[in-house]
Amino acid sequence: MSISPRRHTVRAAALITGLGLLLSGCSGGGGGDSTLTAPGADVLEGLDEAVQVEFWHSMDATNGQVLDGLIEDFNARNEGRVEVTGSFQGDYDTALANHRAAIQQGETAELIMIFDLGTQFMIDSGRTVPAQSFIDADGYDTGSVEPALLNYFTVDGDLRSFPFNNSTPLMYINRDAFEEAGLDPDSPPADLAQIREAAEELTVRDDDGTVVQYGFGAAVYGWFIEQFMARAGAPYCDNSNGRSGRASEVLFDDPKVVELVEWWQGMIDDELALQIGRNTDEAQAAFNSGRVAMTLESTGALGGFIEQSDFEVGAGYYPLVSEGDPGGSIIGGASLWINGEGHSEQEVRASWEFVQFLLTPESQSAWHAGTGYLSVNTEGYDGPEAQERAEEFPQFSVAAAQLADSEINENTAGCMMGVMAEARATAEEGWETALTSDTPAEEAMAAAAERLNTPIEEYNASVEE
Amino acid sequence: MTSTVTATPSPATAPPRRPRTRETALAWAFLAPSIAVFALFLAYPLGRTVYLSMHGNDIIGRPNRFVGLSHFAEMASPEFGRVLLTTLLFTLGTVVPGVLGALAVVLLLEGVIRGQRFLRGAFALPFAFSVASASVIFVVFYSSGNSVLNGVLYRLGLSQVPWLTSQEMALWSVCITTVWMNLGYGVLVLAAGIGSIPREVNEAARIDGATGVRLARDVTVPLLGPQLFFLVVISTINALQGFGQIHILTRGGPSGSTTTLVYSIFEEAFAYSTSDFGRASAQALVLLLVVLVCTAVQFGVIERKVHYA
Repeated sequence: MSISPRRHTVRAAALITGLGLLLSGCSGGGGGDSTLTAPGADVLEGLDEAVQVEFWHSMDATNGQVLDGLIEDFNARNEGRVEVTGSFQGDYDTALANHRAAIQQGETAELIMIFDLGTQFMIDSGRTVPAQSFIDADGYDTGSVEPALLNYFTVDGDLRSFPFNNSTPLMYINRDAFEEAGLDPDSPPADLAQIREAAEELTVRDDDGTVVQYGFGAAVYGWFIEQFMARAGAPYCDNSNGRSGRASEVLFDDPKVVELVEWWQGMIDDELALQIGRNTDEAQAAFNSGRVAMTLESTGALGGFIEQSDFEVGAGYYPLVSEGDPGGSIIGGASLWINGEGHSEQEVRASWEFVQFLLTPESQSAWHAGTGYLSVNTEGYDGPEAQERAEEFPQFSVAAAQLADSEINENTAGCMMGVMAEARATAEEGWETALTSDTPAEEAMAAAAERLNTPIEEYNASVEE
Repeated sequence: MTSTVTATPSPATAPPRRPRTRETALAWAFLAPSIAVFALFLAYPLGRTVYLSMHGNDIIGRPNRFVGLSHFAEMASPEFGRVLLTTLLFTLGTVVPGVLGALAVVLLLEGVIRGQRFLRGAFALPFAFSVASASVIFVVFYSSGNSVLNGVLYRLGLSQVPWLTSQEMALWSVCITTVWMNLGYGVLVLAAGIGSIPREVNEAARIDGATGVRLARDVTVPLLGPQLFFLVVISTINALQGFGQIHILTRGGPSGSTTTLVYSIFEEAFAYSTSDFGRASAQALVLLLVVLVCTAVQFGVIERKVHYA
């Protein structure tokens, strides 16, 4: 299973309080003892029984097991005080839909994991205690938290939620194929032109001219456009990526994206790249089986690549559109939100203590090594599990290095917008239209960007009225 | 819709001259539970859909403003026209080959004496697959990088097919999967039908000199009329409601080329964490209308030609 990284953005602090009050007024459920500010540690003193914290998340399989291990560890240390119960809610989209239903019924979980693209929605629905208020109340030091993650989840100067399971995309190469083609696997291509050059060497045909190994192939995945734009120093949506005011339009018809899509078309037309479609599992399978020698994927895919392929896997920085682009990198994945609306101070405080435990270097070392997600706490990379993993597979350190090299600015913070999930899907559609029809890239991307105007307008109207 | 389903009070047993009011009351009493169930699970959702279709949503998905018929007016767009066209092509592309394919299998198996039951069972087997598992099998067949089908084509020296990655091909690939999934049910129904054709009819036809194609065309197929009609109606409705295979194989793509009406409803309501239940409900009502019209036309036109033995 791949880690599906997503992203999204935030803002409008003043709105939050007002909107929260407005929504709670008509929500019907919840009632009574709501907490939208951070309570101190004293609320957990003199308890008769452990405070129950229900934690909704989207981690299954291996990742779910690692998370369950952390939960057990926390419960053992807090016996009689706090008891966390993990509850798998399906994939990110389903979890958000479940949360939305829970809001309607007034029965939200204490702690929820919401993917990056849902960030603005979570802010606008105004039911959570902003992460910043815990940090301020406790004087919690965020100095060791990965700056790129803080950059993404900070809106209007306040951290809104706690980054937890996050990743960033990389370029993966088949080192064996590189060597056979006489290329240097230690310096993977750094931009589109270089990928094409390498692909010309890496593409292998049989006697009839049918391609048996393509140089390149990756999924038509909207997250990649976001990443390419960040690396090109271009904002994805207006109003400084939705961070200086509500975004009113997307900008993925930018010349850089058009250049990318045209390049992609050319690669497919010249049979240097495999046409894969939107399915990231397909792209992983194509890379694992040696059908494509270079691909783009999340850091979270590295473990699976190493395990399932029978060649040596190399990882490099995500490519630039063209040489001389500023670089930079944005993140994907999900963050943790503590619900205040309808929850007691004890529950809110207990959730925060659990989150603090998850963010310790010890927990993050185990989390990073067990799942392949970034270590949210950069000190986590020095932990024993993380060290062991880095020794065995040095490729694991590429993602952290890529983030460390990235400039922190509004372009690398990524776009914060209420309809971000739809925007990503629409960008994919425009991209795919260009790849599968005669429509020129520029026209396809412009049409896709325009289709989003109505949803953006409607979303903004519904939260601002 | 509900009234056509409720039964009429049984007139047979009661003595002729007793006051009818009691009888009627009794009938209603017996009907009450089923009326309640229909009201709860049919009338209420339908009423709710109509209500939602005329409202916009807040970001939680709750209706918060009346928009009249504007969701319906929006459907007069080339995008929605394309959705309807895709739905039509998908319906034709699954119903016609599905029914004809099942008929062909059953007729050909008539000529097989030994192992006929086994073969019928084998052909009916796809019926036992859930939509999800059947679709996952076809994901492997169609895979862009490691397609089983392309592997076979490659060994035969034929060119590769972009099963799911070309706008022209994807819909037909989904149709093939659907036809395969439906074939089993069709074979079951037609095999049962063919078994119920009286032996004398076939014998009489043979004595008259009808064999092979002639026998099938002029005797067997007309006598299978009721089963064929049933299959056409059921598979049309199935096609109009088909979702799982599209979701698993193509997610409506590439570039909207396999987005049928049902898939479009799903996208509006659930796909992008947007919860646009208003637009989704409006489209759901259009779907209801399409199903009603198709079924009515089929009953009005085709059923007249069906011979019930």
